[in-house]
Amino acid sequence: MRTNIITAEEREKAFASAKKPQVIESQRLDVRYHVEDYEVKDRPRRFLEAFAAILKHTNYRFALEHFIRISTKCSRCAVQCPVYQATGDRRDIPCYRSELLLSVYRRHFTVAGSLRGRLFGTGHLTDEKIEEIADSFWNCTACRRCTLECPSGIDHALITHLGRFILSEIGIAPRALVVSTREQLEGKTGNTSAIPVPALVDTLEFLTDDMKEDTGLDIDFPLDVEGAEYLFTPAVSDFLMEAETLMGIAAVFKATGGSWTISTNYFDAINYGLFYSDRMMERIIRKLYGEAERLNATNILIGECGHASRSAKYYVPVHCGGDKAKPVLNIMEYTLKMMETGKLKLKPDTITERVTYHDPCNIARQGWIIEQPRKLIRAFCKDFVEMTPRGSENICCGGGGGTVSIDEIRSYRTTVGGKAKADQIRATGAKYLIAPCANCKKQLRELVEDQEIDCEVVGLHDLIYKAIDFEGSHAGLSAAEKKG
Amino acid sequence: MEALLEFTRGPLFRLTFIIMILGLIRIVALDIWGAVAAYRRAGDKKLDWGAAIGHTLQWLFPARRVFTKRPVYSVFSILFHVGLILVPIFLLAHVQLWESSLGLSWWALPGTWADYLTLATIGLALALFLGRLVDRGARFLSRKQDFIWPLLLMVPFVTGYLCANTGLNPATYQVLMLAHILSAELIFILIPFTKIAHCVLMPLSQFIIALAWKFPARVDDPICTTLNKKGAPV
Repeated sequence: MRTNIITAEEREKAFASAKKPQVIESQRLDVRYHVEDYEVKDRPRRFLEAFAAILKHTNYRFALEHFIRISTKCSRCAVQCPVYQATGDRRDIPCYRSELLLSVYRRHFTVAGSLRGRLFGTGHLTDEKIEEIADSFWNCTACRRCTLECPSGIDHALITHLGRFILSEIGIAPRALVVSTREQLEGKTGNTSAIPVPALVDTLEFLTDDMKEDTGLDIDFPLDVEGAEYLFTPAVSDFLMEAETLMGIAAVFKATGGSWTISTNYFDAINYGLFYSDRMMERIIRKLYGEAERLNATNILIGECGHASRSAKYYVPVHCGGDKAKPVLNIMEYTLKMMETGKLKLKPDTITERVTYHDPCNIARQGWIIEQPRKLIRAFCKDFVEMTPRGSENICCGGGGGTVSIDEIRSYRTTVGGKAKADQIRATGAKYLIAPCANCKKQLRELVEDQEIDCEVVGLHDLIYKAIDFEGSHAGLSAAEKKG
Repeated sequence: MEALLEFTRGPLFRLTFIIMILGLIRIVALDIWGAVAAYRRAGDKKLDWGAAIGHTLQWLFPARRVFTKRPVYSVFSILFHVGLILVPIFLLAHVQLWESSLGLSWWALPGTWADYLTLATIGLALALFLGRLVDRGARFLSRKQDFIWPLLLMVPFVTGYLCANTGLNPATYQVLMLAHILSAELIFILIPFTKIAHCVLMPLSQFIIALAWKFPARVDDPICTTLNKKGAPV
């Protein structure tokens, strides 16, 4: 089997744990992410209780039943896993990781398994096994490439998703994610980056001034407008880190005269629940949807963010009324629709340097958003090159599944998780790497820095901002502006 | 010996074959039962049927993926499955047995094809077994049954080939034929209870995983209640 294994030196760097030995001892966890202090006693029993409660109230059971019967252990998934291809550690093969949880299910939740287990006194869940699960399930970037490659159709990503959910119920989840989610759901600021409203308003005013300087136009961010067509929520970190993406989006709305608003009551589309807990995901989705209802918005529009788009697109219908729920769109769908209906004009060949596009796993894997951004890019970029593989078979940036938010594992992400991506980026020789996802952007910036690749990571709307032909678009311009 | 052969060919065959069929019906029914219940509970019932059908066909006839990753293994594995399915069902001698007992008859493989396909299947089973033993990833994942299956599947093929193609003396022939029938019957019984269940479950997989991501609405509250976490901080 071909692998692209990291060197011994890289390995040492990647696996250097930031955790203190005392913490490892007191938490009985030798993992690379930090976990808040939790009740260590009786872990196996509590793990099984959580597992049982989740099985009782969710839909996972029928899928697990199917997986334990069908698994043939062919090891095909190994060739698609960027993590295994980098580490060469057989415990990183997706099927092995899945078996960790499936074996617990088989032993404790099936008749045959528990009979056999009792007869031979074997296979019961131990503290050591929980430790192995806790380590293994957070090495995965949840990119879901292995699922594409499994002939039997085992969804390893679903199993990882479930395993992390169970772990979180006994207190084992990356502190970075838990703390952010706590602030989002219960904190004073109500968002994962803890941005207070006055700071948000200041930032947006500042951006408006900037755009006035750049374009001579009054491009604003409408706040708390009731009855707008689109309630816009980006990954909240964009307000701190991705000013140019936000400016591009505001400019698109200006040019197209779209009716949109940002709520100062709740302006965060991040949903770390997707990465570690279905319960948290549900709460966040309901909070987002509640805001759309409060402002009576027609659609929910998510900014450039893969996981936020996926969680809203697929779980707003789940938790907020199925077919009748308000539609969820990604900003790239809006912008493309405007371009295709002639409301938005982009100046051809605005960007002459070589450009490449990174597909965020969460919007590309299921085939949702693949061609939309490419049509936009071709409209204003002269030299667009593709990475191989691309689209629904793309390679993860290496920071997927919430791992990008865990700062202490940066070296792991940039040497193991992102190794295949780094090779892909290098091969294109692109000046601009477009990554329309807050998580991918952060990870890819760290990746190009650590792997010393000469390439600038940008959002799609950062570049669109430079390419908008306001005169040609002119739907949103006032008479005076058009003359000017 | 003659009587023993008659018994294995007659009542024992019928029994084991029925066990296999009922066992397979059971697991398919359980799968569908679970899927229907999950669908009823799902908060969002919109399924991408087209994609699920597409993925299913893509794996039932996996031409597209053969040469992208691990081509040798892929080709071997596909041919092995072709032999495994075609030979037992379409071998002339088998078709004649069905015809004489139940009056059912269907197209049969030409004799030389059947011979080549049998030999190929034996060779491929051996190659896949050795592949599993040599490949460090596959060896690491493998359970006991993963090593036993290719060897067990070889037994009826080897004995069947020898019985059909070599001028054996009657005593040896009978022993080999007994081994042929008994090994096949063992396989029948094991199919529904081991990984070979994938022969009927595999076409359902893509629908199951598409549905599995459709969670029930509102699980936060009941899970909190069950785990005594009502009002607990995030």
